[in-house]
Amino acid sequence: MVSKTEETQLNSLENQVDNGGGGAWEYLCLVRKLKARRSEKVLKYGLSILNDPKKRSALGPEEWTLYEQVAIAAMDCQCLDVAKDCIKALQKKFPESKRVGRLNGMLLEAKGSWGEAEKAYSSLLEDNPLDQVIHKRRVAMAKAQGNISGAIESLNKYLEIFMADHEAWRELAEIYVSLQMYKQAAFCYEELILSQPTVPLYHLAYADVLYTLGGLENLHTAKKYYASTIDLTGGKNTRALFGICLCTSAIAQVSKGRNKEDKESPELHSLAATALEKDYKQRASDKLGLLTSALRSLKT
Amino acid sequence: MVAELKHEISQNAYIKLVLHSLKHKTTAVNGVLLGRVNPQNESVVEIIDSVPLFHSNLALLPPLEIALIMIEEHYGSKGLGIVGYFHANERFDDAELGIVAKNIGDHICRYFPQAAVFLLDNKKLEALPKGKDQSPVMQLYIRDASKNWKLAGPDGGSRLVIKEPAANVVLSDYISSEKWQDVVDFDDHLDDIKMDWLNPELFK
Repeated sequence: MVSKTEETQLNSLENQVDNGGGGAWEYLCLVRKLKARRSEKVLKYGLSILNDPKKRSALGPEEWTLYEQVAIAAMDCQCLDVAKDCIKALQKKFPESKRVGRLNGMLLEAKGSWGEAEKAYSSLLEDNPLDQVIHKRRVAMAKAQGNISGAIESLNKYLEIFMADHEAWRELAEIYVSLQMYKQAAFCYEELILSQPTVPLYHLAYADVLYTLGGLENLHTAKKYYASTIDLTGGKNTRALFGICLCTSAIAQVSKGRNKEDKESPELHSLAATALEKDYKQRASDKLGLLTSALRSLKT
Repeated sequence: MVAELKHEISQNAYIKLVLHSLKHKTTAVNGVLLGRVNPQNESVVEIIDSVPLFHSNLALLPPLEIALIMIEEHYGSKGLGIVGYFHANERFDDAELGIVAKNIGDHICRYFPQAAVFLLDNKKLEALPKGKDQSPVMQLYIRDASKNWKLAGPDGGSRLVIKEPAANVVLSDYISSEKWQDVVDFDDHLDDIKMDWLNPELFK
């Protein structure tokens, strides 16, 4: 998961390299650190280093990390020959390596040889039953073959053991959302918020899911989590600000005819609306008119 | 009786959506189509423009609701409305119209009953540079009398045509030059409101 500042940093470095300003190695290291998926660029710039003997030897032992990074990027871009060559080089250097064995498994995946990949992973797991990467590869394989229920089952089993794997919880939540299983998605976000209460992304996603589920109670809770997102992001999150307005409007609709009084709502709603208008005026003034009409239609 | 309609999509509306799909190869994406019934010919729906919507969490309501409000407001003032929904599945092999696409399609039909759903045809898209096919790389889905979404057959009935016959040539060109990098969707806008989901400079 990449934060906005990290993404900006990555993008500007990428631009620099794209425009001939150098910094390819720094870029590749940053991609690796952030676990970003920029396979075409990684392939291009990684290969340019690997294919240049001087640049390659200048890396020292990091050369092998680069081979691995490029192998994976190549597989993502379906350049299987490049991947094979990289893996061969790694195999030569580290003949008994389980890590290289994993790459071979991934290569079988990339070829679509699911049965063989599964065999390779099973045998690797025999010696290393707690290899998280391989467990997750199996989830990925199920997903790639369209076996979403299998992916969900495997991912749930994985999380029973590795419950601190936040990315896995997020992946599960997103799969649930894609199947419109919002209650289950909500559970995942609850786990994430419990273990990492100061990450605004989880508050926002949870609020979005609750709003989608609907019902008065969920709408009230969603509003709270949009509010906490705004809190955690210093008021800068456009989605959360819109969320407040949507919630207030929806709550009013659902409460029509009931005697419920939501005293806090008009303030929060107008604060959010004002914040949005101010931001649009400053940074997207051509859309200000649209925003104002949208907010008007949400004002009950 | 279900009306048999010709859905005529403009080159820009068409290309914008395909480029959007190519920009986000690893996820499902969606978009809406803007247009109107042809004032001179009721059996033709003119699709004049499109807005790429999201490339993540397509099934969450809040961003969708905001997007639809703003899009309808903008195009309404030009006499255009949402006349269709576009969807591209996450996986290459998945040629099914999924539940999310059907639900959003249903929602759009409440406001424009003749709305159609367009599903990206991955195999056709892959074959594009190699052939001279002028037909769109999308499958057309229509709602039948029981409100079920059905693939429009090649044997007549409703069909989808691109207004400009050379659209696929232009599209292939754009693909070679990686023009998809310039496409902005509503997700991008919500992440940074400076990004313009109208893509005013895209085809200039």
